[in-house]
Amino acid sequence: MKGLVLDNIHKSFGSVRAVEKTRLDFAEGELTALLGPSGCGKTTLLRMIAGLEEPSGGALILGGRDITALPAHKRRFGMVFQSFALFPHLTVLENVVYSLMISGTNKAEALEKGEKLLDLVQLAGYGDRRITALSGGQRQRVAIARALAQEPDVFLLDEPMSALDAKLREDMQVELRLLQQRLGITTIVVTHDQREAMTMADKIVVMSQGRVEQVGAPHDIYHKPANAFVADFIGRANFFDAVVEKGNLRLGDTLIETDVPAQFINGSPVRVAIRPEGPALDTPDMKGTRIPAKITFLRDLGPVRDIHLDTAIGPMIVEYATGETDRAFAVGSATDVTLPPGALHIFPRENTAPSEAA
Amino acid sequence: MTLASDHDTAPQVGDLAPKNSLPSGETLIRGLIWAVVLFLCLTPFLLVFAISFGHKVEGASWVWGFSLDNYKRVFVGAEWPDNVTFLYLQKLWYSLYYAVIAAILAVITAFPFTYFMTGLSRRAQAAWLVFILSSLSLSEVFIVMGWDVLLSNRSGLPMLFKVSGATQWLKDVGWFDTLRDWGLANPRNVKFKTSVFATVLTMAYLVWPYAVILLYPPLSRLDRSTVEAAQTMGAGPWTVMRTVILPSVRLPLVGSMLLLFVFLLGVYVAVTVFAEPAKQTMAVSVYEAVRGNTLNAPFGSAQAMILLVTAAVFLGLGQWLSRRNA
Repeated sequence: MKGLVLDNIHKSFGSVRAVEKTRLDFAEGELTALLGPSGCGKTTLLRMIAGLEEPSGGALILGGRDITALPAHKRRFGMVFQSFALFPHLTVLENVVYSLMISGTNKAEALEKGEKLLDLVQLAGYGDRRITALSGGQRQRVAIARALAQEPDVFLLDEPMSALDAKLREDMQVELRLLQQRLGITTIVVTHDQREAMTMADKIVVMSQGRVEQVGAPHDIYHKPANAFVADFIGRANFFDAVVEKGNLRLGDTLIETDVPAQFINGSPVRVAIRPEGPALDTPDMKGTRIPAKITFLRDLGPVRDIHLDTAIGPMIVEYATGETDRAFAVGSATDVTLPPGALHIFPRENTAPSEAA
Repeated sequence: MTLASDHDTAPQVGDLAPKNSLPSGETLIRGLIWAVVLFLCLTPFLLVFAISFGHKVEGASWVWGFSLDNYKRVFVGAEWPDNVTFLYLQKLWYSLYYAVIAAILAVITAFPFTYFMTGLSRRAQAAWLVFILSSLSLSEVFIVMGWDVLLSNRSGLPMLFKVSGATQWLKDVGWFDTLRDWGLANPRNVKFKTSVFATVLTMAYLVWPYAVILLYPPLSRLDRSTVEAAQTMGAGPWTVMRTVILPSVRLPLVGSMLLLFVFLLGVYVAVTVFAEPAKQTMAVSVYEAVRGNTLNAPFGSAQAMILLVTAAVFLGLGQWLSRRNA
């Protein structure tokens, strides 16, 4: 097994703590996305894994072997950089076989393998071209083929789609995922794009301010966010501040019936999140608290429609998939919104731990 | 009236012609700038070229003329065909020899320094650049004087070698004889004046700041992620240098060497102080012909033209090689 373990690894630059003590397991053959906003420490973590940044503490264990002190050139980790970092003085094929040539592989053997890799990334026949003659998407494929040439134990990608336009990015996400599944290689992708992470990853590590906020499958991260940050960063959510009152939530004059987790005692200040697809409009039969509302704005996005509401507990967005409801909505019309208990995510108010809230 | 009326309405030749038949002010200024630049660039060159065909009048100055005697004297000596000497070709050879070695030495030593400098913080880079730029304000005379003191037999490095016991140690291990064979020692102590070593070292020192300044832009533009990419593919530090960094900046490296080489062809003071009389360069010979005892401007001009053509040939050759390998 060639799984990778980060054991309490951390990194400081002077007095700045870039990555807090982190323990993560990367199972063999799994694709993990390190997801977070700019400056959250995800690239620093990836660079520590690659050996390009020395950890301030902790250990990296690959297949049971401590590789913390191993320099980058001895780790056999293929890496695709944000800028692709292709060598402009070499042709496409020369770039791909670079790792093979410097390791002393027979030239004919290396070139044959290079051609196969170019075929794998759908660039057969491009071997003799200069790097400058390629498009962004083609360059990315060359970078992937080049990183795979040495048959790395771990495949690292640092924001690999950020230099591509939106359409190409979507296509490449699927292509890269299919390629990774075909090769069964342990892969770690750094991204700030939650859609990219959701598309590609088996497991997502959400990071913020150098800390790991949540680790889980894309579905769990979206539907069971561990905290308000994750709920906010992954997808969209309506947020309200409330106080726990006898197992329900008090928002001003409105009492929302729900099952508040036992950890929140009476009077705890909490932050409540509900995804836009959670509430429903004019559904008297649905279980949940009904709140009067007024439609302030309609936003048609094609596959979905956003209905902006002004309610007694604050502004709210409700999302309907196209064709999900027959009802015609009009700006200015009155309605009522139902908040199903199961759609509400309750978190301790920022900087207020559940026990402190009492 | 009719005629006058026709004259008023019919299109005239002057009306059909472009309105700006006279050059505009901008065109005039641009032409003037070009004329001044061409005049300043070409006039000295053309004058030297014309003078090189003149001839010296014994006991007086020189007169205009058209004779190839000066060129013949440079290549095969004044007494050709009775007697052939390659004295001036030998001077040309030393010009090339010193300039090539000093240019290579300057670039080779400036390259790692500049590479590591570009890896420093912006603030540190700015401090280094200011320091290096300020060193350019030192004149050749000042620098040569400093090195003259540093390498002098009585007060410089040789004295330090002797006092510190390094000379004796060199004698004990047998390396002193090797230094003597290289002309870097007399029977008693090491000596650096006069020697090819001191000449080349001082010339390299003269152009070292230029080498740093020429190499700084391409090295600071070098994409450091390519270096890291090579590392992740198994390349150690030397392999990265050999396969990524050097090929990426090959053209600026060659260009810097060529520029410094051309600059060094004309170095005068360092050669007169540090080179042995028999190993002086053509630049020194040009100066002596024009300003020295002989006052033979045509012969000096012929040597200057040959030096100029040699520089041009080397520049062209360098460019051709760069293009071929690009």
